[in-house]
Amino acid sequence: MKKVSVQCRNIRLSYGSTEVLKDVNLDIQPGEFFALLGPSGSGKSTLLRLIAGFNRASSGQLLVDGADISGQAPWQRNIGMVFQSYALWPHMTVWDNVAFGLVERKVDRATLKARVGAALELVGLQDYGARRPNQLSGGQQQRVALARTIVIEPKVLLLDEPLSNLDKTLRVQMRQELLALQRRLGITTLFVTHDQEEAMTTADRMAVLDQGVVQQVGAPAALYDEPVNTFVAQFVGTMNLLPGRVRERRGDGLTLAVEGVGDLALPLRADAPPGETLMLSFRPHSLRMGTPGAEQVSSCIALAGTVEAREFLGEVTRYRVRVGTHSLAVDHPHRAGGAAFPVGDVVSLALEPSQARLLPR
Amino acid sequence: MQYRPFFRAPSLALMMVATAWLASASHAGTVTVVTSFPKELTQAYKSAFEKANPTIKVEILNKNTVQGIAYVRELPVGQRPDVFWASAPDAFEVLAGQNLLDNVADLANRAVPAKVGNYPINNPKGLYLGQALAGYGLMWNTRYMAANKLPVPAQWADLTKREYFGHVAMSSPSRSGTTHLTVETVLQGEGWDKGWSQMLQIAGNCAAITERSFGVPDGVNNGQFGIGLVIDFFGLAGKYSGFPVEFAYPNVTAVVPANIGLVVGGKNAAEAKKFIAYTVSAEGQELLLDPKISRLPILPPEAMKGKVPAGYPNAFEIAKRAKVSFDSDLSESRYNVVSAMFDQTITFRLKELQAATQAIHAAEAALAKKPNAGAAGLVKQARDLAFSPVVGAGMAGNKDFLAVFTANKKDAAVNKQVTGLEDSWNRHAQANYQRARQLAEQALAAAR
Amino acid sequence: MRPGVWLAGAAVLAFLLLFLVLPVGRVFITAFLDADGGFTLGHIGTFFDQGLMRESFFNSLYVAVMSALWAALIAVPLAYFTVRFDFRGALLIQTLGVLPLIMPPFVGAVALQLIFGRSGSINLLLGEHLGFTLPIMEGLNGVVFVAAIHYFPFILMNLTVALRNIDGAMEEAALNLGCKGWRLFWRVIFPLAAPGFVAGASLVFVKVFDDLGTPLVMGQTNLLAPQAYLRITQVGLEDPLGYVISVIMIVFSIAAMALSARALKGRDYATLQKGGASIQRRRLTPAAAVAAYAWIGLVLLLVLSPHVGVLLLSFAQVWSYSPLPDALTLAHYATVFQDSTGMIQNTLLYCGLAAGLDVVLGVTIAYLMLRTTLPARQWLDWIATASLAVPGIVLAIGYLRLYKGMVIPGTELLFTGTWVMIMLAYAVRRLPYALRSCVAALQQVHVSLEEAAESVGATQLRTIRRVVVPLMAGGILAGFVTSFITAAVELSATILLTSAESQAPMSYGIYLYMQSVAGRGPGAALGVLAIVVVAVGTYISHRVVERTGQRFAAQAPVGVTVGGKA
Repeated sequence: MKKVSVQCRNIRLSYGSTEVLKDVNLDIQPGEFFALLGPSGSGKSTLLRLIAGFNRASSGQLLVDGADISGQAPWQRNIGMVFQSYALWPHMTVWDNVAFGLVERKVDRATLKARVGAALELVGLQDYGARRPNQLSGGQQQRVALARTIVIEPKVLLLDEPLSNLDKTLRVQMRQELLALQRRLGITTLFVTHDQEEAMTTADRMAVLDQGVVQQVGAPAALYDEPVNTFVAQFVGTMNLLPGRVRERRGDGLTLAVEGVGDLALPLRADAPPGETLMLSFRPHSLRMGTPGAEQVSSCIALAGTVEAREFLGEVTRYRVRVGTHSLAVDHPHRAGGAAFPVGDVVSLALEPSQARLLPR
Repeated sequence: MQYRPFFRAPSLALMMVATAWLASASHAGTVTVVTSFPKELTQAYKSAFEKANPTIKVEILNKNTVQGIAYVRELPVGQRPDVFWASAPDAFEVLAGQNLLDNVADLANRAVPAKVGNYPINNPKGLYLGQALAGYGLMWNTRYMAANKLPVPAQWADLTKREYFGHVAMSSPSRSGTTHLTVETVLQGEGWDKGWSQMLQIAGNCAAITERSFGVPDGVNNGQFGIGLVIDFFGLAGKYSGFPVEFAYPNVTAVVPANIGLVVGGKNAAEAKKFIAYTVSAEGQELLLDPKISRLPILPPEAMKGKVPAGYPNAFEIAKRAKVSFDSDLSESRYNVVSAMFDQTITFRLKELQAATQAIHAAEAALAKKPNAGAAGLVKQARDLAFSPVVGAGMAGNKDFLAVFTANKKDAAVNKQVTGLEDSWNRHAQANYQRARQLAEQALAAAR
Repeated sequence: MRPGVWLAGAAVLAFLLLFLVLPVGRVFITAFLDADGGFTLGHIGTFFDQGLMRESFFNSLYVAVMSALWAALIAVPLAYFTVRFDFRGALLIQTLGVLPLIMPPFVGAVALQLIFGRSGSINLLLGEHLGFTLPIMEGLNGVVFVAAIHYFPFILMNLTVALRNIDGAMEEAALNLGCKGWRLFWRVIFPLAAPGFVAGASLVFVKVFDDLGTPLVMGQTNLLAPQAYLRITQVGLEDPLGYVISVIMIVFSIAAMALSARALKGRDYATLQKGGASIQRRRLTPAAAVAAYAWIGLVLLLVLSPHVGVLLLSFAQVWSYSPLPDALTLAHYATVFQDSTGMIQNTLLYCGLAAGLDVVLGVTIAYLMLRTTLPARQWLDWIATASLAVPGIVLAIGYLRLYKGMVIPGTELLFTGTWVMIMLAYAVRRLPYALRSCVAALQQVHVSLEEAAESVGATQLRTIRRVVVPLMAGGILAGFVTSFITAAVELSATILLTSAESQAPMSYGIYLYMQSVAGRGPGAALGVLAIVVVAVGTYISHRVVERTGQRFAAQAPVGVTVGGKA
């Protein structure tokens, strides 16, 4: 199958007076596994349904393989969609469900049989043709829904929260299978999720949406390491944010006055003038935790605080440390038999500047 | 919100018991009347009687004659209705035969003549009294006749003519005591074989055999049918109610009383007698003259103190003119046979009979223009097939044969025999009508 | 298990036994009884020997099937339109779609004769101007016509609910794969709504198969129900053939219902997910909108013609062989108001009590079925629902037979001579409707709501009273209304069980009026009154249902979904 690109140009969509999508611009590369990530109400499902043809943009263009398909009805687009509820027809067998699209395309019997068989084999359900959807588990139903879509050899594959109805272990397994399948078939795939872990582990690139606006587009690592605003920072992974006013700017850095902590000299650049508030952002695992009085590395920013709470997560122990008036999340790697910091202890935290970023408020 | 179920159940029960008790308390002073008469008549008598007797209430149970008989028979002594009041005299014979009627000779009105024509108005044994008189005749819708250009009929025999095909209606003897009377009248007037032939021809011209006798005048009143075979008050009442209908008595008619009787084992015999006496008194008879009721009183016009409107039919005159003197014993003896024959060969096979009749009419019309001896012979054969009764006069007079139809139906063997006979009539008739139709169609083809 | 549960179960069982199972059983037995009391199959044999009986059987089948077909033709487009399209007339259709059910059958047929009969308005006009007539009301097809118009709401209501319950994603998945228009309807949407359709259609079939009033009025007696009626009322309660016909009618009705239940087994397609949407609502293009409104207008006109006819008849002075009455008058209403207040009271009393009894029983059976582990509790549901297959006349005969001669203790009153029998007959025959509504309502109350109440100290009874019943309120009311309105126009059992005019409800009153020359007008007027009373009651209850439904999320569908499992 030919790999095609999908482009959204200045797409706006309003329901009545409510603007649901505001000037969305996306460029999805051929063969890409692209994620749309965002909280509920962000417009991600709306955008997906728009690409499928169930919504109509108020303005803007939707280009698939270079051609504007905004005017096409859903059944003309040859874009496959897997629904969150799978939407398998209960009155048809698995075979008939999968064969549905081919029947509509009037494919001859022999070819149909071959293709349906191949699709079922691709998802590992070749022996389940005669069953009915209500006899299948959630994971199996999802695979049938997938088979039903890929059998028609669509140009683009759309997945609407495909894993949200599965339990945790299955989710992990299924996302890997999905990815493997996509790589094998090479179809440009767009999938919608609210779970950032899902998006990060599978997507080639992803877009974060909030309230109808695309916040940032990029590879998962890029969004994780270099979020452009606090929304993306907090949505993709956990982020500590310390607000502070710019005290003074120097050539290679600035001083940030953080309330309850004091002045921090940061070797970070920012365009903000003195007096403006910026957020110092750093991930929980970028803090080194130690007992007070221990050796400090001079290049690190030093903070001190009290342990308020802790959660044992297995690979790390996540501590909540009160630093001044702020509560910071600190991930301390766990080793069997290693030291733990009890609640109430005073600890020292060391932050490596290269791991911190300054974000606008 | 209150939990309805728990408060409802006990209160429901209480209400039911309370009402039942109340109902039973009001029992003294109630006269229960079983009647097939329509609401206008029963309402008139109820109101007038209650006005004259404020302590007595009249309860009307409306049942058609056949159902009324069954109803009375079903109930135990002491629970039965008090009065039985219906048109058909044979119904009263049936009740009398089962000893369900008390003697009421002393309640009769002395001013009432002994007979109308040859027919005694009050039962000679005193088991029931005549309450009104009725004849049988033809009723037609003037608009319908005008629109379909039909000539006004005068005799039953007229209704066998070709031009009336599909415009006639009648009910069935099994469903309507009065229709039974009408059919018996024709059979007694014309003789068994000729009478049945005439009935079959008329039925062949019928658009419908209605389920209840009222269906006929009802249909004629609102223009559904052109002509109906009805009891006289239906026609007259319709006319006086403003419907565009007319009524006439043919020669072959009988004037027969509608009767009222006292049921044995009723709940309130004493006051019921008062009611019966009232209905045959002069005051009670006047109520019959209301245009919406239009029945003929048992008192001759002279005794009615000039209350009779001009042009109102005089039962006694009609009876004098009538050619038939009704024999109710004969009627009773073959009651079930007549009903069953009519139903099996006419009511339930109407479609085939109509088809045969239509074919015969068409053939005769063609023959009228182009006579053809061969075809005429075929038509005669067709007529014989279609319009002969399945049971001949001889068999109809056979006592053993008649006995089968009065035996206990619950006996499976008897039931089987009766239904077997009925089934054979049914099939016989169907075959005859089909054959007749074929012959007539052949004749039509030949006559072209 | 707590004693209260056993008590409730026993009480319900007692009711069903006394007033449904035993009377019907009596009818059954009589069909097999010889004159000397021995068992015999002779009567059954006699039935099948008679050509007339065989013909009646096939006629009944024909009429029932054709009625279901035509009812489907009316109902399916209407249901689809209201669910699919952005339609201003939707609410109108839903309300008007209930009106045929509340037409007293006798009067409806009479009115249709006046409009569609051989000398009715339509044919007179057609004959005069176009030279031909339509034999719509002739023969069996007339019965089909009247029955289809009268009973199609069963299909409409059930199908609409089923359509509304389809997950929109089902449709979108099909659109996505290239399926649209007629193919979409035929391959995806209709099959998913099929359970609702089959439930409604099988109900229509059974009711037409057992219907007495319509064929009787139209003079079509070669059908099973009229034959049974005629045979039993002619010779009294003796003629075995009448009982055989009754038995055959019941057996066949039960078979039809069981078949449809079997066909729907495991196909409960209520697939609407929480948070999911129904199938798409579409805009109609102006041309399509005109066509749709025109079609719906035509159908509604047809369906409401009996009501129009009755209304006209109630005002008509004389209406004979003419498209419209000669003159109009209010006299009939005057007559009715004078004479009939008693009948109106009776109808309200009997139907109100019967419907009340029905919801009490309905809630009890639903609760026993869904919330307790009472052994054989499923039987309560089956027995109660089986009463749908019992024709009214058969039940009445059963009562008359079983309770013959039985006297109310302390009085001289015959049990069968009181109005209580009438009310019980209504209650028993309407119970399935109320039961289905109550079951559906209870299914939507999650058991955790009750468990939460019990965990903070409420006894089972108090929980039922304070939590369950209020949440079921919508369904209970819907069941009450359906029970009430169908009882208000019932005639077949009423005819046999009413033993005095003072006991007569409105439906019987109308029948009486229609027996006399000057009575058609008042009869029609009373019919109009009956329709108005019932329509007002239905409307009020709809509003209450909506308001309580808005307060609680649970909303029970109005109508009967027979065959769907609890």
